[in-house]
Amino acid sequence: MITFDNVTKVYQKDWVALQDISFFIDKGEFVFVNGTTGAGKSTLLKLIYKDEEPTKGTIKVLDQNLRLLKKKNLPKLRRKIGVIFQDFKLLQDRTLEENIAFALDVTDTPARDMRKQMLEILTYLRLSHKKFSFPYQLSGGEQQKVAIARALVRDPYVLLADEPTGNLDEKSSQEIIDVLLDINYKGTTVLMATHNLKLIKKVKKRMLRIEDGKLASDQ
Amino acid sequence: MSLRIGIREGFRTITRNASLFLLSLLVTSIALFLLSLFAFVTVNLYHFLNILDEKIEIIAFLEENADYEALKSNILKINGVRDVIYVSSEQALKDLQAELQETEEVLSVFESNPLPASLRIKLLAKFRNARGLEEISGKVMLLRGIMETIYGGELVDQLKKITSVITGFDIGLLLIIIFSVVFVIFQTIKLTIFARATEIDIMKLVGASNSFIALPFTFEGIVQGILGGFIAFILTVVTKRVAVSFLSNIYFPQGYFFVGSLLCGLIFGIIGSSLALRKFLK
Repeated sequence: MITFDNVTKVYQKDWVALQDISFFIDKGEFVFVNGTTGAGKSTLLKLIYKDEEPTKGTIKVLDQNLRLLKKKNLPKLRRKIGVIFQDFKLLQDRTLEENIAFALDVTDTPARDMRKQMLEILTYLRLSHKKFSFPYQLSGGEQQKVAIARALVRDPYVLLADEPTGNLDEKSSQEIIDVLLDINYKGTTVLMATHNLKLIKKVKKRMLRIEDGKLASDQ
Repeated sequence: MSLRIGIREGFRTITRNASLFLLSLLVTSIALFLLSLFAFVTVNLYHFLNILDEKIEIIAFLEENADYEALKSNILKINGVRDVIYVSSEQALKDLQAELQETEEVLSVFESNPLPASLRIKLLAKFRNARGLEEISGKVMLLRGIMETIYGGELVDQLKKITSVITGFDIGLLLIIIFSVVFVIFQTIKLTIFARATEIDIMKLVGASNSFIALPFTFEGIVQGILGGFIAFILTVVTKRVAVSFLSNIYFPQGYFFVGSLLCGLIFGIIGSSLALRKFLK
């Protein structure tokens, strides 16, 4: 599903963010990417959804060599990948429902299918009663759930989560982790970047540890 | 990609960022008004030059008892002659009296009408220069019954020189103004796009194609351009009304200005928004 083969990413001024990273993630896996702030976790996720280009090495996502992927086909790949962030990245001037529908508009989903998919995802995340609320009217945990809903509504193969619990308290963090585990249980591959070792130990899933841009361990 | 969604998103952008849109519209309107004003001045300048150009003619004075009808038809056969008008000596006197008005008594010293009959020879545009005038005048002089011809050869060439200098200057100025207008519109649209950078990021993230992302902004650019063009047109009409109270003979082809303003707004709106978006869609 995701393959990194000797991937190196060097930013400007010779700052090496990732160096010779190789790993393989199978379909349906739940994998943590762990490391301190600035270790290269976000860069690794950005490389997967091709927000960044590797300086060296090969990346394959959903059997597609990203280096060979034509620019016009990038949106199609991204529709198969869901991404969520620490800062949620929601549109503040749109309601919860509109924020989620935004992801379906992109693919020109017919109105009837859209209503069905929205209803399913809102019920699943228990957000139906707040669908007309704006993001600033929601708690951090709820906002992250909206971001998850937006990522999941198109039924992606992979869900990338970049420090999704970074801004949340323990209770909300646990709720988000439970949602991610459940999504994974239903078959979606989940890759979650976090610096929180305590949380990783509790969940007991595979962990890729990045230290100074290098893959320190894979267990 | 649905046009409906693009237009809906475009309207949403305009209504939710109304103040930014209005500011941007104001700048666009002023920029287009400058262009329209320039066109207004240019059109009138050329209109005036055209009137002068039309006045370039050869006057051929006739000998007494000359057969003007025969002369007229002969002159009309000369290459470059567009029209020939006969002015009798009585008409010439009347014209002179009308021109002199208050000093009419000057003419009373003559016992009889001293002015000869003449033919006013109008030329085709191509021949309205010193060479053309000289050539045609030479041919006219060969005809029996022609006493003398007059034409302003050097003056005509000077007029032509002035016209070509003005044309060069005008084109240069036009290019500068067009560049400035596109730049200003581009910068203001960029400002509205910057305000929505997060939205564009999210669009890309959820797999929106470049055309999907561009459509609302292009729509906004078009609306802004057309509205700006319309406001610029209204301002030009007002300027024309003011100008009319100071100057007579103002030329203002209203229909062309209306269509031109909207069209310029539309084109610059599209160019401006696509230039501004290019950076975001890399």
